[in-house]
Amino acid sequence: MTTAPADTRTAPAADGTAGPDRGLFADLDTPVPLERLFGDPHDPQNPLGFAGIVAADERGDLPFAGERLLDAFGLGAEFVPTRLGGRLAEADRLARVLRPLFRRDAALGLGHGASNLVGSVNVWSAGSAAQQRRVADILLRNGRIAAAYTDMATGNDVARSAFQARIDGRQLRLTGRKEIINNLARAEAITVLARTSDEPGSRSHSMVLLDRAELPREGVHFLPRYRTVGVRGLYLGGVEFRDCAVPLETVAGRLGEAFETILRAFQVTRSTLPAAAVGTLDTQLRTVLDFALERRLYGRTVAELPHARSVLAGAFLDLLVCDSLATTACRALHLLPQQTNLYSAAVKYLVPLLMRDSVDELATVLGARSFLREGPHAIFQKHLRDLPIASLVHAGGTVCQATVIPQLPRLARRSWLNGPGAPAELFRLDAPLPELDMARLGISSPREDSLLATLPEIAAEVSEDRPLRALCDLLLAELAELKRRCAELAPRDRTPLASPASFAYAERYALLLAAASCLGVWRYNRHHPSAFVTDTRWLTAALARLTARLGHPPVAGLDGLEADVFAELVERHGARRDFDLVGRRFG
Amino acid sequence: MSTVHPSLRAARALDRELGDPRDDGRIFSHRRIADLDEHERFPLEIVRELDLLGLPDHYVPVAHGGSLARYDSAVQLMRTIARRDLTSAIAHGKTFLGAVSVWTGGTAEQAARLGADVRDGAVVSWGLTEREHGSDLMAGDVTAEPVGGGYRLTGEKWLINNANRGHLVCVLARTGGEGPRALSLFLVDKRPLAPGEFTLLPGTRLHGIRGADISGIAFHDAPLPAAARIGAEGEGLETVLKSLQLTRTLCSSLSLGAGDHALGMVLDYTHRRTMYDRPLFDLPQSRRTVAEAAADLLLAEAVSLLASRGIHALTGELAVASAATKYLVPTVVQGALTRLGGVMGARSLVVGDTYEHGRFQKVQRDHRIVGIFDGSTLVNLHALINQFPFLERAHRRGRVDAAGLAAAADLGAELPDFDRAQLSLLARAGCSPVQALPEAVRELVELAAKGELPASLARRAEALLAATEDVLARIARYRPTAVEVPREAFTLAEDYARCFAGAAAVHLWLRSSAAALADGGPTAQLWRDGLWLEAALARVAALIRPGALPAGDDEVFERLAPVVAAQHRAGLLVSLLPYSVDRSRAPEEAGR
Repeated sequence: MTTAPADTRTAPAADGTAGPDRGLFADLDTPVPLERLFGDPHDPQNPLGFAGIVAADERGDLPFAGERLLDAFGLGAEFVPTRLGGRLAEADRLARVLRPLFRRDAALGLGHGASNLVGSVNVWSAGSAAQQRRVADILLRNGRIAAAYTDMATGNDVARSAFQARIDGRQLRLTGRKEIINNLARAEAITVLARTSDEPGSRSHSMVLLDRAELPREGVHFLPRYRTVGVRGLYLGGVEFRDCAVPLETVAGRLGEAFETILRAFQVTRSTLPAAAVGTLDTQLRTVLDFALERRLYGRTVAELPHARSVLAGAFLDLLVCDSLATTACRALHLLPQQTNLYSAAVKYLVPLLMRDSVDELATVLGARSFLREGPHAIFQKHLRDLPIASLVHAGGTVCQATVIPQLPRLARRSWLNGPGAPAELFRLDAPLPELDMARLGISSPREDSLLATLPEIAAEVSEDRPLRALCDLLLAELAELKRRCAELAPRDRTPLASPASFAYAERYALLLAAASCLGVWRYNRHHPSAFVTDTRWLTAALARLTARLGHPPVAGLDGLEADVFAELVERHGARRDFDLVGRRFG
Repeated sequence: MSTVHPSLRAARALDRELGDPRDDGRIFSHRRIADLDEHERFPLEIVRELDLLGLPDHYVPVAHGGSLARYDSAVQLMRTIARRDLTSAIAHGKTFLGAVSVWTGGTAEQAARLGADVRDGAVVSWGLTEREHGSDLMAGDVTAEPVGGGYRLTGEKWLINNANRGHLVCVLARTGGEGPRALSLFLVDKRPLAPGEFTLLPGTRLHGIRGADISGIAFHDAPLPAAARIGAEGEGLETVLKSLQLTRTLCSSLSLGAGDHALGMVLDYTHRRTMYDRPLFDLPQSRRTVAEAAADLLLAEAVSLLASRGIHALTGELAVASAATKYLVPTVVQGALTRLGGVMGARSLVVGDTYEHGRFQKVQRDHRIVGIFDGSTLVNLHALINQFPFLERAHRRGRVDAAGLAAAADLGAELPDFDRAQLSLLARAGCSPVQALPEAVRELVELAAKGELPASLARRAEALLAATEDVLARIARYRPTAVEVPREAFTLAEDYARCFAGAAAVHLWLRSSAAALADGGPTAQLWRDGLWLEAALARVAALIRPGALPAGDDEVFERLAPVVAAQHRAGLLVSLLPYSVDRSRAPEEAGR
């Protein structure tokens, strides 16, 4: 066990037994309400059990029982800031609220989570008071907001979109297409990104908030529903405006400032959605673990085969890494808002990648069952199809890497290895957060990189634990090398024409960020009720997975760690606990 | 090459007859394939078309009245079909899998009779797996009880390709005793059976190859004549394992076809789509991703070429080569498909008419089955682990079947006839391509010293050799355990298979480049200066050691990208062999 000096940055709670408590750790034995409402996932009669969800997916429907349930729960309020009467205050909490949705059905997660969030966040940051009130009312009534940013021709390169809003007196005249937009035709309101000036550059676009009911009957042509290989239940629509006149008051925020608005809003969504989508990996892991514990091959259960155990333990570690990184990024929105432009892009890139690789490995253990759309493990193939789409939603990996790359050289020179680390509250899962202030989110390159600077800081505290020490040394050497290389990146490498090496650096940067997050979470959650979380075993095993991804052979002294991690996995599974950092019971 | 390579002749002819898949008026069209998949319907018309074009003939060895003479040709045939549609390839090609046990373990009379039946259009299925036992074939419960000179067959086989449709099904069943010799193999003809003697189990709903008949069959005291037994009692498992050596090698064709399909789409897309005022293909990161995926597919092709020629020339080593191929090729191709999907973005995920009939997502879904069936990834790695002692010893002794290796690696060499008597459950003599690597690398290094090859290629070849020596040293230290195979052994087997792939590429280039270069044309550009080989070896290195810091030595992909693009533009598959496909009419991007 490594001993670190007592944390003095944050005053302990009054009773001296725990850190500041939002109640997150106070009761880990009562399931969160949503999970309980969803009911038994393995009950074939439950329309929101896996069988019901797979059946809805087969039909290309959302599970309507799920829609009604979320209405009753009042999920829409989760996306509305508290000042407007909703419950949106802390991004990491929002992600945890959405996680049970993703555990069941990414179509519900995206259909009721992601798109409302993506569609409304811009309004909170830039809309007029009246627009904010209207969108809040829609969501508080469980209505839907669609986010119409993309078209097929330009995809994620939204700046190139040809969609135009021409100012004509007191009117806006809309021309162009929006394609593959979730809930487009059934939403109450639609936020639209439109070019309002022919000038090149970043100040030519504006946000428009359209009321679906008041759209003119002329000049609006809805396109057939799009179908995708996963999340088949989503109602993905498209629309073509042909010189369609809407009132000028539909402009949300100041003319020409949409990109600034979006750059802020996307930080929220790019951090929150991957953190919520961790629920998908939870189900994949649980499904394969179920299989492994029951299935007998070669005279023993699959779970007794060392290879299968190793894959399962690895997926559990990946989940913890994803949770550490994504939750930290969510908390950074509140605590390090000048830096989240960078972190949110790194999270949106790395978390889906780690989950994809993890799920692919799990599929080899599940074997032929991973290929069946029926039977007790059918949810696996559904999540397998859903995950790439949940990952692509509103920013693919390349786009996110392209956001990270140009920020690396300056940070490499200024911050890494010598900047101050992040505050303890960034990592302390139950510490309260200041209100999310969208206006404070930075849109230019940050001057500091506190999260990564935490890596050398905590690594310096690790002394007695030999494999952990060795892993920290590897990570520090890696960081030094990355710093050297990024500092030298050519100017061309800060553009879309960046070299493949720059993309490799962006990936390594994200992996180091993940390592820093794991170290921080371990370091500052000593008051976590789970001995597993406070111990070094998961941390060491998780860092070993990250260093393996960075191309390093295993360090000595890791024997037995995987067995411990696997034992925790099986224990949590038996106790019906989440596989995430909090480890709350869910049923 | 001015003349079509003999392995391509049948495939080229079939492809021409099938016509342009973009033409809705062809039976085997993209539109029909997409519709069938959407509605989970069996590709009956396509299968009929393939019958009409004489494909079943190619499943029957020449000796038994068919036209199957060389297995490298069989690979190209199945690859051609798989390039259009994996469902159809798997639905039709299954008859070879169902019949192969008779070719490897049956009498001449049985083979002649089945050959005639197959050429007549009979569908043969292969009933190995059971619901509760999956890949653990020895645990099977289906029983054939000897009764009055014949047998009575009872029990259920599940997840069987064409179990419903098949006229015949080759069944592995328990005939008594313990251990591996408790099982025997039977060619069950369903046609004379009475209705109550078997039940067809419904087709399963699948993630990919949705239209395929992956179902089950349960036998209820079904009477079988003694002549239905293939080989002696107790030889069932052995015959199956030998047959699997053939089919696992041939499965590479399915991955190659899937790779051809996906890479073709991505090359079309990246050349037509512009971003930042230039074709997507000209953005460095996109170009790199495509070039690396192309190198992956060329590596997979090299393995498939060498291994399928090895069926004839290195038959006794097939227990290793087939397992390495069946692990490596689907795994490498699936990785390439995933990364190519990233380049395609949303277009890789849409279904229906939005973009290219949703072909990309279908390839991705369908291809996942290749790593699962006919021996999963883990089963094949396990097969390699079991042979570690032979691999280590043969490597230490430097044992090489030089004549066999030369015939396998020289694409211009005559192939000896396949001799089933040479098949062996264990490759006691190891694996010649790997064992001959030191000599081959020396040859490459000398060519580089003479200035005939880039020094960078020599460095990569030496790195492969060093990695191979390291893997074999680790194998030498590995102590087999009777009970539990540790995770490290699987990693070791993966690394061995990667070294095998690199070695296959090296030998293929050394023995075949002279002829390939003499040909000129876009394909020769791939062989010039060892270009494809260097790219393939770079990929092998990345597989063995993923996540290495960029070392600044990756310009080989910059050289590879334009050559791959030129091959595509010239209407050729991205392939080591000049394989022309009709691309006279550019596909339209629907909706845009």
